Amino acid sequence: MDFEMDRFMIALLDRSPPHALEHLQLVLIPVVVAFIIAFTAAVLLTRERYVKYTDRVMTVFNIGQTIPPLAVIAVFFPFLGLGREPALFALTIYALLPIARNTLAGLKGVPGDVKDAARGMGMTEWEMLFKVEIPLSMPVVMAGIKISVVLTSGTAALGALVGGGGMGAVIFAGIDFFRAELIVAGTLIIGVIAITLDRLLTLIDDMLTPPHMKA
Amino acid sequence: MIVLDKVDKVFPGSTIPAVNQISFQIDEGNICVFVGPSGCGKTTILRMINRLVEPTGGEIYIKGKKVSDKEVNPDELRREIGYVIQQIGLMPHRTVEQNVALVPRLLKWPEEKISLRVKELLETVGLDAEEVSRKYPYQLSGGMMQRVGVARALAADPPIMLMDEPFGAVDPIVRGRLQDEFLRLQKALKKTICFVTHDINEAIKMGDHIVIMNKGELVQHGTPMEILCNPANYFVKDLIGTDREIKLLELTKSEELVTRTKNIPEQIIEKDSFILAIDPVQRALEIMMKKNSDLVGVRDGAEMIGTISWEDIKKHINMISGDN
Amino acid sequence: MTPLSLALALFWFSNFYDEYLGFIQFIIRRWDRVIEYTFNHFSLVLTVMFFSLILWISVGLIISRYEKLASTAFGIGNILFVIPSISLFGIFITIPMLGLGRTSAALALILYAMMPMIRNVYRGIKSVEWPILDAARGMGMSAKQILFQIQIPIAWPIIFAGIRVTVVMITGIATVATFIGERNLGRFIHHGIARESADMIIAGAVIVSVIAILLDFVLGKIEYKITSPGLRRV
Ligand SMILES: Nc1ncnc2c1ncn2[C@@H]1O[C@H](COP(=O)(O)OP(=O)(O)OP(=O)(O)O)[C@@H](O)[C@H]1O
Ligand SMILES: [Mg+2]
Repeated sequence: MDFEMDRFMIALLDRSPPHALEHLQLVLIPVVVAFIIAFTAAVLLTRERYVKYTDRVMTVFNIGQTIPPLAVIAVFFPFLGLGREPALFALTIYALLPIARNTLAGLKGVPGDVKDAARGMGMTEWEMLFKVEIPLSMPVVMAGIKISVVLTSGTAALGALVGGGGMGAVIFAGIDFFRAELIVAGTLIIGVIAITLDRLLTLIDDMLTPPHMKA
Repeated sequence: MIVLDKVDKVFPGSTIPAVNQISFQIDEGNICVFVGPSGCGKTTILRMINRLVEPTGGEIYIKGKKVSDKEVNPDELRREIGYVIQQIGLMPHRTVEQNVALVPRLLKWPEEKISLRVKELLETVGLDAEEVSRKYPYQLSGGMMQRVGVARALAADPPIMLMDEPFGAVDPIVRGRLQDEFLRLQKALKKTICFVTHDINEAIKMGDHIVIMNKGELVQHGTPMEILCNPANYFVKDLIGTDREIKLLELTKSEELVTRTKNIPEQIIEKDSFILAIDPVQRALEIMMKKNSDLVGVRDGAEMIGTISWEDIKKHINMISGDN
Repeated sequence: MTPLSLALALFWFSNFYDEYLGFIQFIIRRWDRVIEYTFNHFSLVLTVMFFSLILWISVGLIISRYEKLASTAFGIGNILFVIPSISLFGIFITIPMLGLGRTSAALALILYAMMPMIRNVYRGIKSVEWPILDAARGMGMSAKQILFQIQIPIAWPIIFAGIRVTVVMITGIATVATFIGERNLGRFIHHGIARESADMIIAGAVIVSVIAILLDFVLGKIEYKITSPGLRRV
């Protein structure tokens, strides 16, 4: 590999930063939106009235996760065209599955006797949701968000294909011109974004997890 | 048969020995029972005998041969020693039949022989071979699993058996039955058995020889009679509990107390209050209470050989426990 | 159902077909291409799985015995996981010995297979509870017999689950290898975007998705079949 340090530094320090910011958006916006949608859906699905559908929905989520990322990114292009919004939309769909899966699993996993006890103490449905179910399922939900963040950071590199920008632009340029420096610089920044977000989430997780549930 | 000579075990990372300077020997065809509170080192001793644990000091001999000898292959040694582990440890992915057949298959027995053997063993431990052979461990109750564990250890007919609380997971009634069945079996098999329990009653019932341990030390060893008659210290006394006399009577055969006479009183024959010479003296007491008399007749088979009176029993109790 | 409503339904469907199901016509028209790309796709996936099984199952077994290596291996696996697939393919083609082509694609995919494979082998082997190993040792089974008769069979359903995840994942990521010259099912998507051909993109996306879902389903059935009933537990 002919790897020139100068070229690498230019790629990393000059060429990448604007794309890095785009990339961060391509990760954060989809994950946050996906979280809101997935969380609401999971909460609804675990209510008494809909709980009978959770298994079927779970199966759909599991099947959804087997769909290749490139297919998810590309399939909206014919309908939405090129650009940032279509990329964001596709990535949101992609980010949705791991979060939805874990949130549903987490809420479903709250033991029935704990819920009964809470009900027995006279908690309303709302109180139970916010004081019992959500706190207890937090670790599993967080794990889902983390998986989603890491997967979306990588998949967002494909966003460049449909005009979404981000580090993918730098990486694809590297592939087109056989320039390892561009690819490595782009990858490095994606890695930093993924790992930083993961660490941040770990910190939040530590603050949110009830003390008795910490390992 | 099995000799332990000043055996020590200090586990890595621990300063207190799990087993400390233990010496005793087990004769061929005997059941030696290890008894003592949790954590006193019973399991560790068994595991040193089949070299799952290597002693940090001392020597263990089986049939005069050092087990630590370089020429002894531990795997081969273990195939000669049946091991019933405390946690049962059945192979979850194998059927009952496959579990029991494990060692015979390792030893490459012919399949027909194995299948006969498995059937025989399952019946021996009181399971319906037809019914359980094809079941998987998760489909069995705790007591059934333990029986399968015992059958598995017996499978290749090893001369030595290490049994770590083999009847721990069953209720007292079933346990009593399993003990009886096992003793009956042992009469025929004459294996050399190391048996762990923390139930002193089980120890007295099963043991030809009892080793009492506490905190890795050997506190006392001897026949059940010796231990019941002369408890070495308060630890042993506490372990035996308050009904020592009754336990003694369970161990004494009626023929030891019988007053031999050809003159059997009328009342005994009338009430049919007889016991057998091989019955424990305990049985005489039961009959006395039931028939409301203070004399029972003793028979040896069909022949009447004498009588035992309430006075005889009292004298006997005073004699054997007279020292305290 | 009246003839009128039937006619209406037919009309609606033909409209729908023209507007949204053009990709079906595309698939029919380009059937030879579909076959060619599918063949290439699977020959790549099979190559990758062949090496991955040998390599990563061995590595998984080794790290389940040497705890210290396990954390290192999982560390490496986690880093690989953060690298986008397109980058890994890209980095390999810039290595002069490899360049554009199958070797680069295969190597990158084998690296991707590492994490799900070694994690499941490790987990599977560790799922064997100690009393079982203890009993096995106590009965005089050698280390080799314990590995092949006890540990691997008990771990096998978990290992197979890892293989299933890996196969599905590799089938998906292999599409991205079209950007480094693989002529596989990713190519419809790749060229479809370049030519702005909706039918081509949807055809590509639908084919790979259907294949991934089918693979997952079939392997799932096999996974159930090969699991000893003693390990299934309801
Ligand atoms: N592998 C090991 N590593 C470290 N310490 C051990 C190990 N095995 C046993 N010990 C320690 O050795 C001591 C004796 O243990 P052992 O298992 O022999 O007791 P035990 O008499 O069988 O008890 P129990 O009746 O509860 O089964 C205990 O203090 C235990 O913690
Ligand atoms: Mg023990």
